[in-house]
Amino acid sequence: MIKSCYIHIPFCNKICSYCDFPKLLYNANYVDKYLDSLEKEIKSIYKNDILDTLYIGGGTPSSLSLEQLSRLFNILGNLKKSIDIEYTIECNFSSLTKDKLELFKKVGVNRISLGIESIDKNNLKLLEREEYTDEIVNKIKLIRDIGINNINVDLMYALPGETIEVLEKDLDFILSLDVEHISTYSLIIEDHTKLKISNIKNIDEDLDYEMYRLINNKLKSNGYKHYEISNYSKDCFESRHNKCYWLNDEYYGFGLGAASYIDNKRITNTRSITKYINNGYSIVCEDLDIDSKIEYEIMLNLRLCCGIDLDRFKNKYGIFLSEKYDYNYLVNTGLLILNNNCLFIPEDKLYISNQIIVKLLQNKL
Amino acid sequence: MKEENIRNFCIIAHIDHGKSTLADRILELTGAIDKRELKSQMLDSMDLERERGITIKLNAVQLSYKYNDETYQLNLIDTPGHVDFSYEVSRSLAACEGAILVVDAAQGVEAQTLANLYLALDNNLTVIPVINKIDLPSADPDKVIGELENIGFEKKDIVLTSAKTGVGVEELLEKIISVIPSPKGDRKSPLKALIFDSLFDSYRGVITSIRVVDGEVHTGDIIRMMETDAVYDVVGLSINNPKEKEVSVLRAGEVGYLFASIKSISDVHVGDTITLDDNPAKEALPGYKPMKPTVYCGLYPIESSKFEDLREALNKLKLNDAALTFEPETSKALGFGFRCGFLGLLHMEIVEERIEREFGIDLIATSPSVVYEVEMTDKSKILVDSPTKMPRRELINKTYEPYVKCSIFTPSEYIGPLMELCQDKRGTFINIDYLDTERVTINYELPLSEIVYDFFDRLKSSTKGYASFDYEVIGYKESNLVKMDILLNGEIVDALSVIVHKDFAYKRGRLVVEKLKEIIPRQLFEVPIQAAIGMHVIARETVRALRKDVLAKCYGGDVTRKKKLLEKQKEGKKRMKQIGSVEVPQEAFLSILSTKE
Repeated sequence: MIKSCYIHIPFCNKICSYCDFPKLLYNANYVDKYLDSLEKEIKSIYKNDILDTLYIGGGTPSSLSLEQLSRLFNILGNLKKSIDIEYTIECNFSSLTKDKLELFKKVGVNRISLGIESIDKNNLKLLEREEYTDEIVNKIKLIRDIGINNINVDLMYALPGETIEVLEKDLDFILSLDVEHISTYSLIIEDHTKLKISNIKNIDEDLDYEMYRLINNKLKSNGYKHYEISNYSKDCFESRHNKCYWLNDEYYGFGLGAASYIDNKRITNTRSITKYINNGYSIVCEDLDIDSKIEYEIMLNLRLCCGIDLDRFKNKYGIFLSEKYDYNYLVNTGLLILNNNCLFIPEDKLYISNQIIVKLLQNKL
Repeated sequence: MKEENIRNFCIIAHIDHGKSTLADRILELTGAIDKRELKSQMLDSMDLERERGITIKLNAVQLSYKYNDETYQLNLIDTPGHVDFSYEVSRSLAACEGAILVVDAAQGVEAQTLANLYLALDNNLTVIPVINKIDLPSADPDKVIGELENIGFEKKDIVLTSAKTGVGVEELLEKIISVIPSPKGDRKSPLKALIFDSLFDSYRGVITSIRVVDGEVHTGDIIRMMETDAVYDVVGLSINNPKEKEVSVLRAGEVGYLFASIKSISDVHVGDTITLDDNPAKEALPGYKPMKPTVYCGLYPIESSKFEDLREALNKLKLNDAALTFEPETSKALGFGFRCGFLGLLHMEIVEERIEREFGIDLIATSPSVVYEVEMTDKSKILVDSPTKMPRRELINKTYEPYVKCSIFTPSEYIGPLMELCQDKRGTFINIDYLDTERVTINYELPLSEIVYDFFDRLKSSTKGYASFDYEVIGYKESNLVKMDILLNGEIVDALSVIVHKDFAYKRGRLVVEKLKEIIPRQLFEVPIQAAIGMHVIARETVRALRKDVLAKCYGGDVTRKKKLLEKQKEGKKRMKQIGSVEVPQEAFLSILSTKE
């Protein structure tokens, strides 16, 4: 049974300079065709599983018109949902209206994810995002008034030119919103983004690290739990959808460029909108054997602060992790901690988790 | 052939002055080969020789030439063209009565022209000066004639040739017959034959090139090597014309090949004298010297699995190269390899290149080292050819290093920069010889270790490539030498240790630690890089701890990209050498070991 599903809506009213996800400028004509094709894709693949999490991401899903959103929710109405489903939609501030929020509430959306990223003028200019600082507080109040009380905001940091002081202001502002979940992302300058093309360089590694520590200290001292490398939440508000990824569970992924993990296969959809609206969906398919499933398991679990649950691992694969990988050296040198039968990266070393994961994967028995 | 009609000669020249081409032309003119089968530079049989224009192994060809109705036997003995092989050169010169000194009509007299000329004169050879390449647009024969007059030749004795077009070669052949004396051996005396080269043949064992000085040698004779006392049956004798032809006897004055089922080239010493076991000569020919390596370095396969292949490659090269020595060596940093000894830098480069090219093994070579002499506190003396063999400082009383006399031949405008270079390299000025107003020879005494380090590159760059140089080892001098270690995270990286003069240790140390800092990637912890003499740290840098690695977002659950990133990191780690707890990229060694100032 697959319990999670991701829906990608690639449309935006404006393209941000750092974004490397499949997206295009909003175009009413394309949206209708896109939704037609999305409906077909879901029908051909979805097997009536009861979903525990449903996540509509983008792009900017809220950039669709009210009618288009109704159409989208009609399509998604065919998906079976558990009673306590976590149902998230990503929104931006300019397109988020009371009408749309009421629609969300009506169809059962119970979690809103908002990209704030920063309130600093220079940062926003670099990211090519509009300023909504004044609107943010009102919109969040509106969301809560409608009755949706699980809100995530995204914060970006380590932007070229950013100082510790700027980050501190951003953090203070976000904390003042008193949201349930905060995602923090250190800027990655990806290929083919506007930033990369303008030859923008990353900030100094050491400053990046200082910023990470500041975020960690500040959010934790304000009651947020650090549960994944980049994610913090209040008690009981961890993103169940994201945890599906980190726990290496299977999920559906529909829409342009969406990734799915179904029947031991990791599938990536095409990033070409013309192909997609002509019903050409998947382009890459990786059929996984047990060894690569285990590699994924390790790599993904270790992003979580609770790490690899060794009992769960044994139940899932029928062998102990220690039969496949020698992690004693890493435990002895303090790069991994073994506690309560969970193997995890110590919090102060999460930021170099790639190195640690690679070291572990190299110690294959 | 009667001795009066034999001429034994060689061609000597500075590198690239056209020695091999001239030899080809002589072969063609004497009818030894016709033009169609003339592969350019016939005498150089190894591909590498032909490519680099350097004659590595010797060859002797017997030619027949008619002059004034008399038939003459001309034995052309080819010699190596570089200082590293100067002992081999001197032995092949000893097999001749005359030498053709070839000078490029555009380049003029160069360092090795002089060095070779002096070697020839030392061996009492009659020298015919030849100005070659007169067909070149840049040729300036008059100027070169002047230069040759300055070093003692008379204008009337100089032959102008173009080996390329054939002009003057006939005249040269006539000069060889009229000027070079015939051999004056005694065919009735006990056999004395000089070994001037040897070559390993997989079917016949070691083939020796010999010049019979006195007496005769026949197939079936029992011979004795006077230096090693080894006794063998002569299985066969042959000459090259230039195809091999078997003969039953070689008589005084003649040159040829002798094979005697000798299995190891180490039993045959170039310069040794062959005599008959039952009728030995009273004394050997003069001038024998055992060949000793002057430069050592460690050779390691980049892929550690190729260690046995490397051993095999060295064994094969050794068959034809008695001067090459090697013994297994282990380095913590580089794994299993060999400590190899060479006659000089060029010899080292040639061996490295042949291993990489002919045997397909990629190598890491450690910094070349010379052989140091160490006097211990108990007055005993040891030889140190590798930094790892250097005793602890408190056990050392005095240290000595080999010195060379270095002659730099240069246009006079570079005297300043060259003297500065030599001064910088701890040189002691001897004198300057003026060939004419524009060309000089600067003579210096220099430590061999400085020449081995980066002297040649700096010489070339400070004179735009116009200067040439030559050196000979003159002996040991006391010198304040120390072993400098490089430490990574407190651990000595044996492959990077060097022996340096104390006054230069700081500069070298700084250079190496700075370079390492650039190359070593950040690790999970801070890595100090130190250069130290004993316990005393002279330079330090730090590679800061890794703070952040890329954290890919996973929007839409696209985790395959992240996996690919990790796969890439994993691949990268495979190319790292683990030094203690530090991961060092393979390239680090390559770039440090080729450090140029």
